[in-house]
Amino acid sequence: MSLDISFIGILIGSIMASSVPLILAASGELITERSGVLNLGVEGMMIIGAISGFALMVITDNLFIAIVGSMLSGVIISIIFGFLTQSLLTNHVATGLALTIFGIGLSAMLGKNFVGIPGKEFPILFSSLRESIPFFGPILFGHSIVLYFAFALPFLTNYFLKKTKLGLIVRAVGDSPVSASNQGINVILVRYCCILYGGAMCGLAGAYLSLIYTPQWIENMTAGRGWIALALVVFATWSPIKVLIGALIFGGITILQLHMQAIGFRIPVQFLSALPYLMTIIVLVVISRDSRKIKLNTPSSLGRIFYKEK
Amino acid sequence: MATDLRISNISKIYPGCVANDNVSLQFKSGKIYALLGENGAGKSTLVKILSGVISPDNGEVFLNEKNLKLSSPLDAKKNKIGMVFQHFNLFETLSVFENLSIDATEDNKGLRVRINEILKKYNFSIDLDVPVLNLSAGQKQKVEIIRCLLRSPKVLIMDEPTSVLTEQETEELFISLKKFCDEGILIIYITHKLKEVLSLCDEVAVMRKGKVVSVSQTQNEKVETLANKMVGQKLAKIKKKINISKNKDEIFKVKHLNFYSDDPFETNLVNLNFSVKKGECLGIAGISGNGQNELFQILSGEIITPDTSIIFRNKEISKLNPKQRREYLMAFSPEDRISQAAVPELKIYENVALNNFKSSNFFEKGLVNERKIKEHSKKILSDFSVNTDNVELKSQFLSGGNLQKLILGRELITAPELLICYNPTWGLDVGAINYIHETLIKINDQEKSTILISTDTEELLKLSDRIAVIYKGKLSKIMPSEEVTPEKLGVLMGGGSID
Repeated sequence: MSLDISFIGILIGSIMASSVPLILAASGELITERSGVLNLGVEGMMIIGAISGFALMVITDNLFIAIVGSMLSGVIISIIFGFLTQSLLTNHVATGLALTIFGIGLSAMLGKNFVGIPGKEFPILFSSLRESIPFFGPILFGHSIVLYFAFALPFLTNYFLKKTKLGLIVRAVGDSPVSASNQGINVILVRYCCILYGGAMCGLAGAYLSLIYTPQWIENMTAGRGWIALALVVFATWSPIKVLIGALIFGGITILQLHMQAIGFRIPVQFLSALPYLMTIIVLVVISRDSRKIKLNTPSSLGRIFYKEK
Repeated sequence: MATDLRISNISKIYPGCVANDNVSLQFKSGKIYALLGENGAGKSTLVKILSGVISPDNGEVFLNEKNLKLSSPLDAKKNKIGMVFQHFNLFETLSVFENLSIDATEDNKGLRVRINEILKKYNFSIDLDVPVLNLSAGQKQKVEIIRCLLRSPKVLIMDEPTSVLTEQETEELFISLKKFCDEGILIIYITHKLKEVLSLCDEVAVMRKGKVVSVSQTQNEKVETLANKMVGQKLAKIKKKINISKNKDEIFKVKHLNFYSDDPFETNLVNLNFSVKKGECLGIAGISGNGQNELFQILSGEIITPDTSIIFRNKEISKLNPKQRREYLMAFSPEDRISQAAVPELKIYENVALNNFKSSNFFEKGLVNERKIKEHSKKILSDFSVNTDNVELKSQFLSGGNLQKLILGRELITAPELLICYNPTWGLDVGAINYIHETLIKINDQEKSTILISTDTEELLKLSDRIAVIYKGKLSKIMPSEEVTPEKLGVLMGGGSID
């Protein structure tokens, strides 16, 4: 294997592709958490998105319906979480954990008949440019539309939170739900919306796995990516751009260490496998050292149950 | 246009407590009205109803004879009722401008112009683009007031607005309120501070146990008459006799106390030096957030700072943790009763057991000696007149005053040589405050010492032998309390200097 320039381009392209589910899920969860809700059900929502996207693709043979359906399924399962935590005031952590366990179980059951069915090829954009431009071609072109969306999402999220009225309201609710409520903001409604949005993004992240990244259904195919996404949000100190950086580092080192294993570096395999986790945490901790900024970005009411006085 | 606000037969009942019992009141613009009462008298419930945060079980509110349906804070806003809460309703991590723009209907540019107009008109100076957590309490309150003014309110309700302000800030606030009043805004001023009522308000309604017990013109009232109405009985006056004598031993000595923190919510402390004599009460005044929390935590051993020397009874204790310091006969009563001093979910006797000494034998071979702890707890309850003898009661069901008595009792029953307390009467009613003050004076009479960190200047002047002021983490010189006046304290607390 030669490390020529076009190979590096392809490598970077594959790193980008592998980080897409993390970016999507983490960006969704970031909005949820910014409103003060801690939803640990990311993994569960992703896997439900993965199976429903794949199943819809097989049944309808229409990728558009599959993608939209996966997002809807993420929304539906997050409604359960929203209803329990916002309307019945259950504990966020316990409910989120339950959602993950439920999602994994339900997806395995629903997916029984879909194991082994080959997936459909997902259309890629600008495939001619990918071949014709060396190095930059494989990086910038020949990806699915979901990837382009995923890479725009952190910037859109950042813009939404910093520049728009709705983003301000989400931040306000996350900062102090009591004050927000006293200002006449419907805290429960805002939090519901953020939870549902998070669910949609996690569903999309799952569908990316089962329709685009490895187009097939395998039981438990999210393989802990939901947990990584959750950790990214926290280690990126709730900043969308840092989520993107973290996801790329994680995806990058995952791919690189696979290549290192293949080449046969004399480093224990277990250490190489642990490397992405380790490096992501180290890098994010280093770039998020400013305790002042952390204070300003952290949703103070995260995970706390909001109870409206009557 | 004149405004007329009428509350008619409002009742609000919580399980086990009648918060408002058939309250009827009438207010007219052009005057400042005081709503006076102890904690738990029902003032806060009433203003929450007026601002739409909670809805009453019974009764109606009329604004200019229009029956208002206040089922959410939005309704109050729409009807031009503005409210400044005691605990600020601000978003700490958002900038001042973001806080103000969150419920604005206009675009940011127009809003900024209007805010600047208000700032100019009332002489407020606030940077609009810093996060609210960087502001002082007085500035935060101004942000709240601006938020109300932006909606050109007819009614402005202020809930205990001066509890976090310096004397100067209080004066500024009063000037602003009088201006608003002249401009035709109806002002309702909720407080338990009698002097403020007399100096600011035109009419006063006194509430007790959910009922309005009197409505009168303030010019016909005096501090004593209002106090008696508020409490419902005559209060004994407490006066401490000052005992400073030069030749008494210094029991506690702090040198080079420095503290530096990265946390923007904490205050750095700069080179504090002070000492406490036997039988003396050292008062430390200041507006909250000027380093009192950090000072208390360092004195109690929750934070260990390098290079600080703390000598207590001729021993260096600066490296000891709170438990070890207690073994040397220090005692601590933190500000936050619920989360720092006691665990609300635990029973009374369990809370007592938290403060265990080697000698108290509460635990034997790793097991809890329940009988012993309960006996000990019963003694505390009776010695410190806590209003229950049930040691199995969960602490969260004690009122603030009774909980504070329990905490002081727990600390004092071991006869400590030094008690350090931080806002011991914070949020308590007059009766409980009296009891706590008597207790603190008794400690000094028994030749034991106290350090009283407090934001209540009146309390400090009443109890301290010497007083120092903490401002932005620095300590002023220590003054004998007879040389100190509230005005002097106010200047120092606001960062000014005297003489």
